[in-house]
Amino acid sequence: MQISAQSGHGADIATALYIRSGAAAYDVSAEQFAAILDEILRKYFDSAHNSAHASAEQKADFCAGLRLEELALARACAGGNERAWQDFISRYRHKLHGMALHITRDGAHAAELADSLFADLYGVNARDGVRRSKLVFYIGRGSLEGWLRTVMAQEFINRYRKQKRMVSLEEQTEEGMQFAAAVAEPACASDRTSDQRLEAATDEALAELSPEDRFTLASYYLDGRTLAEIARTLGLHESSVSRRLDRLAAGLRKRILAGLRMQGMSHAQAAEALETDVRDLRLNLRSRLMQDSGAKTFHEGKVPAQDAGKGSN
Amino acid sequence: MSEVPKIVYDRLRAARPERALPEGTGPERAHPDADLLTAFAEQALSVTERDGVLKHLALCGDCREVVALAIPAADIVATKIATETEAVRATPTPVKAQRNWLTASKLAWPSLRWAALAAGVAVVASVLLVHPGKLNRAMPPSANRQVATIAPPASGPQIASSPIESSPIASSSTDQSAASTKIGEARPKSELRLPKKLKAGQVMTPPHQADLGRLIADNKKDSSQADKLSAAPSAGASAFDAQTDRGATETVEVSAAAVAVEVAPSGERSLTARNETPAIEKAKPALQGIEANEQQKTETAVISGSARLQARNVMSAAKLALPASQTSARNVTWTITAGVLQRSLDSGQSWQNALRADHPLLCYASHDEDVWTGGQAGTLFHSANSGITWAQVRPSIKAQQLISDVTHIDITRIDARSDVPGPAEIVVSTSNNEIWSSADGGKTWEKK
Repeated sequence: MQISAQSGHGADIATALYIRSGAAAYDVSAEQFAAILDEILRKYFDSAHNSAHASAEQKADFCAGLRLEELALARACAGGNERAWQDFISRYRHKLHGMALHITRDGAHAAELADSLFADLYGVNARDGVRRSKLVFYIGRGSLEGWLRTVMAQEFINRYRKQKRMVSLEEQTEEGMQFAAAVAEPACASDRTSDQRLEAATDEALAELSPEDRFTLASYYLDGRTLAEIARTLGLHESSVSRRLDRLAAGLRKRILAGLRMQGMSHAQAAEALETDVRDLRLNLRSRLMQDSGAKTFHEGKVPAQDAGKGSN
Repeated sequence: MSEVPKIVYDRLRAARPERALPEGTGPERAHPDADLLTAFAEQALSVTERDGVLKHLALCGDCREVVALAIPAADIVATKIATETEAVRATPTPVKAQRNWLTASKLAWPSLRWAALAAGVAVVASVLLVHPGKLNRAMPPSANRQVATIAPPASGPQIASSPIESSPIASSSTDQSAASTKIGEARPKSELRLPKKLKAGQVMTPPHQADLGRLIADNKKDSSQADKLSAAPSAGASAFDAQTDRGATETVEVSAAAVAVEVAPSGERSLTARNETPAIEKAKPALQGIEANEQQKTETAVISGSARLQARNVMSAAKLALPASQTSARNVTWTITAGVLQRSLDSGQSWQNALRADHPLLCYASHDEDVWTGGQAGTLFHSANSGITWAQVRPSIKAQQLISDVTHIDITRIDARSDVPGPAEIVVSTSNNEIWSSADGGKTWEKK
């Protein structure tokens, strides 16, 4: 469906959407707005998962569900409309700085991040001689404020990654990087087999989880997010997340044990393998090797005495 | 919290979308764009899309971090709040403190503080609503406030057609205030109880912030007449008063009244009367009369909120009750931050909370002084005075209620070309693609 090429009922929808968006206030014509909607529809419905069975009605509903007013504002800003920019700045200037402060937790970095985003939004970097504002990527599925926050978070993470890549050797030395030990390989074949079986059973148990459960697990145990943060992300109550985590932890253990038993381990072996951390195991091996070498030296020292005794006898 | 085996940490860390999801399995392999992540964070995606994004997020630590950073902290709502007296002000909470909220195994002070504040406001609101008369008595009488004066029964004229023969009528006062105007015509009790039965030709003034002040102001009258008169609000008995120079105490009273009349049609006025003889002065709550009147209304689709909502609105109204010149719809800018509706009176320089509902608010629409805002779980609020007072609206048709998330609201003036402002058409879109519309300002609804 092309909004701009519609006639009859479709044209009425396009007109209604245009009126709803208030784009006229920013000198965006109905045709321009229809073209924007066409572009968004193309992007959304031409993707592999949405192209099938997308009726004109569904597309009209999709357009009606967009944040049309904010979309009009963003696109008018991208087009360089002065009034739109005034509105944008009055609405979001302070909020952007607040967001940056929330993300960076540092005043100087926050100002830098917010200014950098403003420059991107305005489109300081011209491509092929054309100023290209980042606001053209906003399609109105979420709020403009939320989108700005997400873009800022992405920018922050990208910047953090860049800085991490550019850490000097001196800084690495200060952090003790040159002393980082190489990852020890499992000492013997039996350990390696046990690891592989444990990994396979764990991967299998994790694969059986629903995406939401796995997201909850990763957010809590891996990323260290709080229950409140996870609950806010998933739109749940904290107690629900807490109960879910308890259930997941217990369920995972059972599934991994069952998986290990399926691979030929006894219950005791499976429980032992699960309780033993791979990293602890490697550390134990190293310490055991060190003890062995000491004993060997001591043993070597004793041999001549025995030999001497024998010799005396 | 239960611990998981350490191997689970390792395997979760080792997981990558490109490894776990083979090529061609779907869009989950690629990083979702900012729009999709925003819609995910705002719970605005369809179930299928949400599952897809979750599938990616479960495997991609970078995107999880973006989402975590992009979701604002619960208490960070605004960076700058202009009104120092604002009762429910959003203050940035250190993330560290938030993290320790549960793990510290003790309630943090900010939580207790807000709980104490909420409890205090609830008590004040309930006292205000149940015993408004006592509060009115405490207010100093204003000499130059013009109100309808109750004449003694013996000297007052009688209304021949009144079923209550001894009912007094309010006569014009001899108050010297030139700015004051008064209409002292009282109605028989049975007629006054029904605002719908107003006489033809009566002037109906739309509700205004200054008018609301009269709901409480100086409604002192003869104790023998108090019940009859205060329970019989009428447009004909409205007192028009240009006096607005009241102190802070009255501002709160005005706000409380505004909450109480949140569903009142524009023509309603409470009867305010004052006896010039101090010896027989006795305040009578106008609110009781208004509330009694409200209970008789069944036609409106607007329903009053719970006591908690009223208490919250009392605070909102108290902090938002500003001079009329400041609440000019032309200067008001609206926005929604973290599910809270905020407004700015200075083109975005400063923001103040206008409405915080039980569920997060998602969208709003404003036209002149008409403001509508909607949110999750069918939350819908309307303000006819630029956010000074709010009324919760529950659209319903044939026992079918609006319960899904309100994603967009549109206001269209039906008679845009007419000089006289008419009812606006409200179009509400929901997350499950329902469209609800009302052509009479939210009283009746149609579902498309």
